[in-house]
Amino acid sequence: MIETYHLSKLYSRGVYALRDLTLRIDKGEFLFLTGASGAGKSTLLRLLLREELPTEGTLKVAGQNLPDLTRSQVQAYRRTIGFVFQEFRLIPRFSVFENVAFVMRVLGVGLAQRQRKTFQVLKWVGLQHRMNALPDELSGGEQQRVAIARALVNDPQIVLADEPTGNLDPDLSLEVMNLFREINARGTTVLVATHDRELIRQVARRAVMLDHGRVVEVG
Amino acid sequence: MMHALRYAFEEATASLWRGRQSGLLSTATIAVALFVLGGFLLVTSNLERLSAAWSQAAELSVYLSDSVTAEERAAIERMLAPGDVVAEVQYLSKADAAVRFGEIFPDLAGALDPGAENPLPASYEARLDDPVAAGRVEDLARLLREAPGVVDVRFDREWLERLVTAVSIVQGFGLALGTMLTLAAALTVANVVRLALYARRAEIQIMDLVGAPAVYVRGPFVMEGMLQGGLGALVALAALAATFLAVRGRYLTPLVEAANLPAARFLPLELCGILLVGGTFVGCVGGLVATSGRR
Repeated sequence: MIETYHLSKLYSRGVYALRDLTLRIDKGEFLFLTGASGAGKSTLLRLLLREELPTEGTLKVAGQNLPDLTRSQVQAYRRTIGFVFQEFRLIPRFSVFENVAFVMRVLGVGLAQRQRKTFQVLKWVGLQHRMNALPDELSGGEQQRVAIARALVNDPQIVLADEPTGNLDPDLSLEVMNLFREINARGTTVLVATHDRELIRQVARRAVMLDHGRVVEVG
Repeated sequence: MMHALRYAFEEATASLWRGRQSGLLSTATIAVALFVLGGFLLVTSNLERLSAAWSQAAELSVYLSDSVTAEERAAIERMLAPGDVVAEVQYLSKADAAVRFGEIFPDLAGALDPGAENPLPASYEARLDDPVAAGRVEDLARLLREAPGVVDVRFDREWLERLVTAVSIVQGFGLALGTMLTLAAALTVANVVRLALYARRAEIQIMDLVGAPAVYVRGPFVMEGMLQGGLGALVALAALAATFLAVRGRYLTPLVEAANLPAARFLPLELCGILLVGGTFVGCVGGLVATSGRR
């Protein structure tokens, strides 16, 4: 599903965020990316979101070499990706329902399908009763569940999560991870970047440890 | 596409309402620019009508000597034959001239002694096709003055030329000023839209990341600019109409009646349409400039 071959990302100040990274993530796999701050986890996710381009090497997702994609191909590619950030990135003026439905709205999905799908996914993350609340009225765990619902509403092939539990306590973190496990159980490829080794141990999935942009351990 | 347009419209109106203070500023800027431009258009369109009406009345009068021969008259008539310069020509005999004199100046009609010789000359009165086509009319007048049997040629076109020059100056000045103000208005719209863009950067980032088509990302901002522009143009037209009605009632109507001038009219519907479309276009340009860094 995701293949990198001698992938490097060099920033203008001469620092390698990723160096010579060769990695294969199979379809339907759940993989943790771990390592200290600055190890290159977020950089790999940004490359996978096609927010940035690699300096060297190959980065393929579902057979497409991401650097070669045209603008419209990038748009089409991103519609197959769900993303979750540490800081939730919900739109404060939108209700829970609107935050989730927004993705489909800007992709031109009709109102009836939008409503049905949004309700379905909010029910799945257990927030159907809070769908009219604003993000500020929710706890951190609830906000992250909304963000996960938003990532899922478009039925993505891959879910990318960058420190999704960084702002949550251990119990809520495990709750969120269980959601990711369920997503993965439905056949979606899940890639989670986290520095929380304990959480990785609890979830017990393959983990790739990065250090200064290089793979140092695969567990 | 309809969905995208509806989305852009809904988002643009919501955004305008949220940022109504800055939106008001750019709408007012466009309104001022178009008010000035529209004001100049209003003045020049009326001056052009005035000039056209006066041009219609402009004539070239060729006075004949009492001893003019039939051959000389035939030669003069050939020169005045309707064509590029002359639209229509009429011969006025000495007797006709006396009758007209009596009609125009009834109090002085008695001064012409019926028993004595008629002192008024026969003449040709030519209505000109284009009285401000200076060169050709001047050439014709010179030829006529030199023709045998002609005692005088009268064509006072200086006042028409002055009017046409005045219209051109007012038009040029108005266009230059209007263009500058319109440019300033477009930049104001661009900055206001940029503020809206900044306020909604989180949404835009999410739209980018989910692969939303460019029309959804940029559309609402371009639409916001267009709404500001269109609204500004409507305000300008309303203000212009109110000013015109006030000025016409107070100053123009008495002047027009006293001087027997054509009545002043508001901008033709096509020009109002052009101003409205122009304002919307300026707003659209502002929106496009503001989002030009985006997809």
